[in-house]
Amino acid sequence: MKSALFIRPWFSTAALAAAALVLPLVIADRFALDICIRVLLFAFIGVAWNLMGGYAKQLSLGHAAFFGLGAYTSTILLIRFGISPWIGILAGGVVAMLASLPIGALCFRLRGPYFAIATIATAQVLMLLFLKFRDFAWGAEGTTLPNLGDAPLMMQFESRAGYYYLALALLALGLVITYRIERSWMGFYLVAVGEDEDAAEAIGVDTTKIKRQIYMISAFLTALGGTFYVEYIYFIDPNTAFSFNVSVEAALVSIVGGIGTLWGPVVGTVLLEATSALLQSWFGSGHGGVQLTVYSLILIAVILWRPSGLIGLFTELYQRFTYAGATQAKEVPLDG
Amino acid sequence: MAEALVIRNISKRFGGLRAVQDLSFSVRDGETVALIGPNGAGKTTSFNLITGYYRPDAGSISAFGRELVGLRPHEICDHGLARTFQVARPFGKMTVLANVMTGAFLRNKSLDIARSRARAAIEFVGLSAKEHSPARELTTIDQRRLEMARALATEPRLLLLDEVMAGLNHAEIDQAVALIGNLSKRGLAIVIVEHVMRAIMAVARHIVVLDHGQKIAEGSPKEVIANQEVIRAYLGTGYRHEVPAGGAAC
Amino acid sequence: MLATLAQAVINGLLIGGIYALVSIGVTLIFGVVKIVNFAQGEFVMIGMYISFFLASSFGVDPLLSLLISMPTLFAVGVLVQHFLIRRVLALGDMPQIFLTFALSLLLMNVALLLFTANYRTVQTAYSELSFHIGPLYFAVAKLIAFVIAMLLSLVLYLFLHGTDMGKAMRAAAQNREVAMLMGINPDRVFCVAVGVALALAGAAGSLLMPFYPAYPLVGQVFVLMAFVAVVLGTLGNITGALIASLMMGVAESLGVQFVGADSGLIVVFVMLLLTLALRPNGLFGGWAR
Repeated sequence: MKSALFIRPWFSTAALAAAALVLPLVIADRFALDICIRVLLFAFIGVAWNLMGGYAKQLSLGHAAFFGLGAYTSTILLIRFGISPWIGILAGGVVAMLASLPIGALCFRLRGPYFAIATIATAQVLMLLFLKFRDFAWGAEGTTLPNLGDAPLMMQFESRAGYYYLALALLALGLVITYRIERSWMGFYLVAVGEDEDAAEAIGVDTTKIKRQIYMISAFLTALGGTFYVEYIYFIDPNTAFSFNVSVEAALVSIVGGIGTLWGPVVGTVLLEATSALLQSWFGSGHGGVQLTVYSLILIAVILWRPSGLIGLFTELYQRFTYAGATQAKEVPLDG
Repeated sequence: MAEALVIRNISKRFGGLRAVQDLSFSVRDGETVALIGPNGAGKTTSFNLITGYYRPDAGSISAFGRELVGLRPHEICDHGLARTFQVARPFGKMTVLANVMTGAFLRNKSLDIARSRARAAIEFVGLSAKEHSPARELTTIDQRRLEMARALATEPRLLLLDEVMAGLNHAEIDQAVALIGNLSKRGLAIVIVEHVMRAIMAVARHIVVLDHGQKIAEGSPKEVIANQEVIRAYLGTGYRHEVPAGGAAC
Repeated sequence: MLATLAQAVINGLLIGGIYALVSIGVTLIFGVVKIVNFAQGEFVMIGMYISFFLASSFGVDPLLSLLISMPTLFAVGVLVQHFLIRRVLALGDMPQIFLTFALSLLLMNVALLLFTANYRTVQTAYSELSFHIGPLYFAVAKLIAFVIAMLLSLVLYLFLHGTDMGKAMRAAAQNREVAMLMGINPDRVFCVAVGVALALAGAAGSLLMPFYPAYPLVGQVFVLMAFVAVVLGTLGNITGALIASLMMGVAESLGVQFVGADSGLIVVFVMLLLTLALRPNGLFGGWAR
């Protein structure tokens, strides 16, 4: 069904990618670029969360645990052993991945809301532990990261553009991984587990193994985001690294944008960060409760009126103007 | 003459309720067995025990030479036992094709192979026209067909069907009977839980009757419907059933 | 040594009574409406602020303000159920979790905007009062709170077993479809259940005011205790929630006494993780998912 504007899906993705690549060259304002970097980072964290929470419906509210583990692993390696964060970021991912095994073993015993509570508890336990660990993890005061000036090999860039491209690369990684999983047997299995675990078991899906695997992937990616964040702000402490706000935002952007979809977290992040930026310009940063009040109102509105997320709106618009519908040769779990 | 399924003295209690007591029966390779009995007799519980959702308190269940007790449901499915649920449980968000492909992935992880095998199963149950419909938009009966197709996609050697005929009209029952007959011809062993006598008579070679968790009768269809215990379980005392000379039909 | 132990146990039991009011509310909503109310702590917070303003503006004793906070929160509960929760009941886990979660965020942050983060306290004649029995001392305010909390629990029990509405709630908790077939109106039952649960939260808030400060995030501490108690006491089991809450109170108190002042949270989490590891279905079994 051709329409007036004959645009193929890959074209719009390519256009988006091109725009994203060019952005830092066009925007010089540091604050604007900072917002873009935050959007990229939190979209990435959202994409990581979405694999578990969106597709497999394992609603974790404790992903900050992995964010923090990634952040602390790379920082400890950097400051105590002088190891470059490029290695540290991977090490952090591995640590988080390994941590997800016992955490999952405990938390998956509960379902639904109680799983969520258990994940909150694990993130809090980690925060409490790191508040106590003075010896090699600086306890409650945390530490600043050494400012090495322009040191790309140590993941420090003189201009914001460096961080921007790194964050963009992370987001691209997350999206590619989600895309590949979505279109493979694993994607089908994840959605099956999310819909009905018992029915999935009956057709041979090892639900325990799938949940464990996706948790590991989700944890790994989230940890990468954690390392990036502390490298970007040159500071780490338990309250920042294991912050409940990180856990909330990871889930929020996916739910508002479109749970269980590829672009949902991106849409959600753009919306929420744009709102946040607007609120900051109107109210200044003095009023602590304004941002979260508005976020929670948005969340309530989305849940009551568009529980599958706002991406549905965008998809409808997109499909009216492009050739998207008819060219899907491959079977995708969620649509035909 | 191989045994597809051997159940020996299984029991299951839920608190004070003895759902299944000392139940034993077997199913031969390629045979169709009906499990009947009044509501609450323990039929679906037996299915749940066989497929690994509950663990029997005592007894053993083995299929195709392997002990099933202690295995998780997905392992049992991998071993060749597939089941449908009494109330269909499709993956609502997915299309019919995607649902069945999810079942097909058990045997082969390739997208293309799974798709073609899924399409074969969908055609077998007669849902080809609705391949791309979201599962949640199907009628109840089509959802049951989907459930069966999905189970078939796992390439089972033994199929457990839980009340697939409930609520079907005459023509639909005939279709379902034909379908089961076809499956049997392919060599599948089948256990059906049913209330529709007409269908049971048509497909089952052997009937096991449960009441209050215990087996009260077993035998060929003719033997079973003349059995006084069976009649009493369904209809209470004071009813005598005369078997018409020409054979049984309900 | 024994006296210290006994004192810690007593302190724990007394605060456990408050935890019980909060957790009974959570488990009641879970049992009847089948959703988890993440915002339960915020309703405790609202109860506290109601009592605070009645005390500071009109000199009303917090215990007396129970007569206002409980009915007010009952009404709030009915509204929340009817306008918010009812809409998401058919939608599944995700919207339900995030609705009450969003409500929790909303209430906390609106309170932050309206009241600022400052601690608000109320001084009553008995706030500092205590008496001794042998080597053990009892803080009057806490003792009164405990007694009233237990009385309210008893009243709830009688309500659930003695009144038609109460029995309807229990029926709906056990089997919603059959209850509907029996002519029980689920929406009305749910409204009452949520109303009662929130009234209990409000009561907890009023009872806390004589000895505990009110601030926007105060609910978070109590709701955490409540959730662990609900899991420990088996989901949906009211008696279980009561007993588990008392246990949590004692465990926290022992932790504070023998491990360290800030060990309270750690104790809570350890208990949660132990429960998950050893008895995921809670102490009173059943409810296998």
